[in-house]
Amino acid sequence: MSEALARSEPVSAQFYSGAGVSLSLAAPMARYALRARQPEPLEHLLGFELPRQIGAIKGGAACLGPDEWLLRGPVATTVATGAGLPVSITQVSDRSVCLLVDGPHAADVLAAGCPLDLDRFAVGRATRTVFEAVEILLLHTSDDRFEVEVWRSFAPWLKKALETAARQLR
Amino acid sequence: MLLIHCPYCDQQRAEIEFAYAGEAHIARPLDPAAMSDEDWARYLFIRSNPRGRHHERWRHIHGCGRFFNAVRDTATDKFEATYQAGKPRR
Ligand SMILES: [Zn+2]
Repeated sequence: MSEALARSEPVSAQFYSGAGVSLSLAAPMARYALRARQPEPLEHLLGFELPRQIGAIKGGAACLGPDEWLLRGPVATTVATGAGLPVSITQVSDRSVCLLVDGPHAADVLAAGCPLDLDRFAVGRATRTVFEAVEILLLHTSDDRFEVEVWRSFAPWLKKALETAARQLR
Repeated sequence: MLLIHCPYCDQQRAEIEFAYAGEAHIARPLDPAAMSDEDWARYLFIRSNPRGRHHERWRHIHGCGRFFNAVRDTATDKFEATYQAGKPRR
């Protein structure tokens, strides 16, 4: 815990606020990469059902591929190791940070660098994609909020790219 | 923007999310040690390289992460079909 408190974040907490959009860094959270051919053993460990459709979110877990989920939760979240089961569970809490894009123009800012059809990317959807040159995981968590998961070392670059897009909104 | 249909995501997605991965349906020989150098070299290096209909592998690397197969016209760059890995040749 003391390690988490002492850790320095790659971007500042609230880094842009303008008309129709604000950009900020989400609080630290626990992240687990879950892999399994069959989701049942994972569900047994977790105690809840995983989303089956690629791109769906359920109970903090986003289905990223036919055998891949990302679970996000409060910092204290722990998951059993799954020893002996045909699953792979990896704690990746510090692999990425989450940038929040809030406001009625959130989608316009993302559209500046992301090739997804955001009009058809409904609330409750998540997918890996790209923003300009970096890979991101994009989650649409409420009407006016998108969450952008990005590897820590890419975060300062992405912050600048999002900020630049936000400044150019009219 | 060239859109490619990912057979796992079942969506049209931008080409920038994908990586090309060479000709499809090339099975690795089961017993390489029993092959002549010539046959081994043919397996490793010789590809059909057609002008027109081409079966090839793609990977939705910045998406679901999956490899899949596609039929693409090498002259027009039009995708005729994409289908999951392991499914029969179209
Ligand atoms: Zn896909």
